[in-house]
Amino acid sequence: MDLISLYPTWYEPTVGSGWVVAFIATFHVLASHTSVGAALLFAYLSHKAYREDREDLLDFVKKYGLFLLVFTYVAGSITGPGIWYSTTVASPNGIGALIHSFVWKWATEWVFFVIEVVGVYMIVYLVGKVDKRTHMKISVIFGVASLATMLIIVGILSFMMLPGKEAWFQDGGYLNGFYGTNTFIQMAMRMAFMFTMTAVVGGIVVAGIKDPAFKKEMARKLGWLGIISTIIGAALFQLYLKAVPDQALLVMENRLPSYFQPSIIAVLAGTLAYFILTMIRPQVLVQAFAGGMAVVILVAGLWPEETARESMRKPWVAGQYVYSNQVIGRDVPGMGIKSQIPLLEKEGILKAHPFTPDNLRTVNDGNKIQAGKFIAMVYCSNCHSPSKTGIRPLHRYIPDNITEARMEKYVKGVLTTGNIAYMPKMPMLDSEVKALSAFLVMNKKGGEKAVDAAIQQEIKDRNHAYAEKQAESKVAMTQEVK
Amino acid sequence: MDASQVTQITDLMYALRNPAGLPTYPIIFVGLSVLTFALHILFVQLMLGTSVITLVGAFSQNAYWRRLGSAMLEVAKVSVSVAIVVGVAPLLFVQVVYDPHWYTSNVLSADWVIGFIVLLILGYWAMYYYYFVNGANKDKTATPKARWSMLTSLALMLVVGFIMHSLTSQILHPELWKSWYLQKNGMLDYSGDKLHEWNLWRYAFFISLSIPVAGGMLVTYRRFKSVREDADMAYLNWAAEVGKKWIKVGSVISTLLYVGWMMTLPETARNFATSFWGIAGGVAVIFYAIWAQIRLNGEARFCSYMALPMALVIGLVVAISREMLRYDILNGFFHYDFWDYKIVFDWYSTGLFFLTFAIVGGVVLSYFLTIAWKAGQTVGVYTPSAFVNRLGTLSIWIVVLWVLQFFVVGFYIWAR
Repeated sequence: MDLISLYPTWYEPTVGSGWVVAFIATFHVLASHTSVGAALLFAYLSHKAYREDREDLLDFVKKYGLFLLVFTYVAGSITGPGIWYSTTVASPNGIGALIHSFVWKWATEWVFFVIEVVGVYMIVYLVGKVDKRTHMKISVIFGVASLATMLIIVGILSFMMLPGKEAWFQDGGYLNGFYGTNTFIQMAMRMAFMFTMTAVVGGIVVAGIKDPAFKKEMARKLGWLGIISTIIGAALFQLYLKAVPDQALLVMENRLPSYFQPSIIAVLAGTLAYFILTMIRPQVLVQAFAGGMAVVILVAGLWPEETARESMRKPWVAGQYVYSNQVIGRDVPGMGIKSQIPLLEKEGILKAHPFTPDNLRTVNDGNKIQAGKFIAMVYCSNCHSPSKTGIRPLHRYIPDNITEARMEKYVKGVLTTGNIAYMPKMPMLDSEVKALSAFLVMNKKGGEKAVDAAIQQEIKDRNHAYAEKQAESKVAMTQEVK
Repeated sequence: MDASQVTQITDLMYALRNPAGLPTYPIIFVGLSVLTFALHILFVQLMLGTSVITLVGAFSQNAYWRRLGSAMLEVAKVSVSVAIVVGVAPLLFVQVVYDPHWYTSNVLSADWVIGFIVLLILGYWAMYYYYFVNGANKDKTATPKARWSMLTSLALMLVVGFIMHSLTSQILHPELWKSWYLQKNGMLDYSGDKLHEWNLWRYAFFISLSIPVAGGMLVTYRRFKSVREDADMAYLNWAAEVGKKWIKVGSVISTLLYVGWMMTLPETARNFATSFWGIAGGVAVIFYAIWAQIRLNGEARFCSYMALPMALVIGLVVAISREMLRYDILNGFFHYDFWDYKIVFDWYSTGLFFLTFAIVGGVVLSYFLTIAWKAGQTVGVYTPSAFVNRLGTLSIWIVVLWVLQFFVVGFYIWAR
């Protein structure tokens, strides 16, 4: 039997597995971008401290470093692999595609991680224990190593949207997959915004400075850093939009929530206003205000940005060949990868899925709802929650008065053919179309409770029929013996 | 299990392989996975062992224990970071070669996989909380505050370890994956809210190794601090004696737990317990006690520095045994051969990693660790020698050149 590389499905009913990934990823972006930006800032400040023989700058580096160590390094270093964990369970083939193409790049990044982790401890704990020149050298190495981690990961992130060069599909090769227009513009944009985050989070440390003159100096330094990086980042974002595929722009125009554009503009404007205010009147910079601003950046700035990036990739989740529902939807001759669509068209999803229970491999009247739910979980649940809550719930897309016949027409005419631009093509046998439609209609009208009750009834009837059959064959055997 | 069932399971595992293949030979990934796992677990054990010493110190009235607890908290803090960052590597490599197994195991326990992240962050923060509450107090013999937070930290770390242990154990039971997905009542379980498999002997064995490893740390601690001008030799000698005892007693406990693990292996592991690697793991552990008895007599100045590398070597033997067990089950019983993984060679990225590892990692970490080592042994401000300074300058050039090559190659490919 031909099977395709599909794993069991994990379904988180309250928020949806996609959002679990997004929560962890967004938090990680704040922590990691701040860390890299701060690492470069430390290099600059340590250099200045060495040249001008200043203790206060080193003290600031120590305090900001300790703050980073506890909040961003702890959380950042755990949520980094945490993204692997969450994508492993929500999108195993998506992360698998990235890992198998870029394993050595990740391993290379790991070398820099080790340098970073050792470096941050040294920067914090060796202030006053080594001479300033040595501290400066450690800071410069730490800063460049941190930057290297970002350079490496951005290439992988941009591959998620689009392999660097079109030639990758035909010829394969790590370099073709890694480097492209999308990579470099995204890299520049992220570098700009990471300085914005560094300036905002650094405000929490500046707020704690007792000496008014030094506080003013640092507020100005961070203020200028923040203003310049925010303006450059906003300009680069416009350029970035020109480097993504047309399909992504189409999705962005049609699918992104209405609050996306205004919230991004509001956050940018608010951020600039914040920096100007803290530069003019450093005394307003207190820890709660700076901390609140970091939360604003996280919630109103990063969250929509990460959501947008995730949405714009649709229907793909990685490299424009792995669909968001984990099916491989395109040939990649350069990597010897074959589309799984032809097999699914021939055999159906139930036979091709390795984890389909034996009694669901063929749809019949006794398993229709359970088979339909299984198909929905495999094909739909990565982007549409079958429950009432969560990510884009399925029931919201179905009219109230729908009939099964109408639903079947829609599923067959639109979903199995891939007629929606941002949704994968989902091949199904006719019997599977009927099962999915029956499930969708029942889920719409009765919700999860009705679905579960129907499945339990199907199982009960099946067990009953099986028990009767067993009894009959036992009687037949007894009679034969007699 | 009959032959046709085994074939079905083997087909399932092969079907789940990632079609992108590997950029080089699978044995390289397995080798790196074993090596980095040994390093990772050493720091995990160091973190757990020194956390226990911190707690013993926190609850003891003995001034030496108090001081030792406070000193070992510093080691525990750094060890968590290092354990996490080093743990990224085996986590990466296991996804490469054992992707069918790792991904299935994780998806079937997804809630725990996500919980792992949250619990680890909380455990780490709890340790820092304890540190911040007590760190500023110059009197290291005073009764520490917020001892609950250190207890919480250790408890959370043990839970985190158990989750990881369970996920790894689930890999070894492909014959049960489908039954875990399909519940007894016939419903499919999409929730991922259960841990399905564990072996308490195996878990206890890996955790118990924290005792001898922490013992090795104490012996090293005495040796490292003994060269400082302000060294309190009575206290340091006492710490080293505790360390020697922990190595010996801990190794015996660990060996017994190892035997327990070997005796409770699943049927699919057949004769592994009596195989060479099955025996080698246990022998390696008890060897640590014997080594300590012979080599750590008296001051043992050189051997004290060997205590942790020796623990690493022993951990490496155990890590190889662990890998052989996995191979024995997945290949020996289920005929899933990781050697025949499709290979799509990529020489550039393979070469770049090894060069980065050797040159960037080698030079920069040599510089960093030299500075950290010397600064730790110096009272007051440490000023490096001209040679060490040159090593620092070289390190800067190496990382800058690495970034430059990244852009030069990148722009060339982009413009091509």
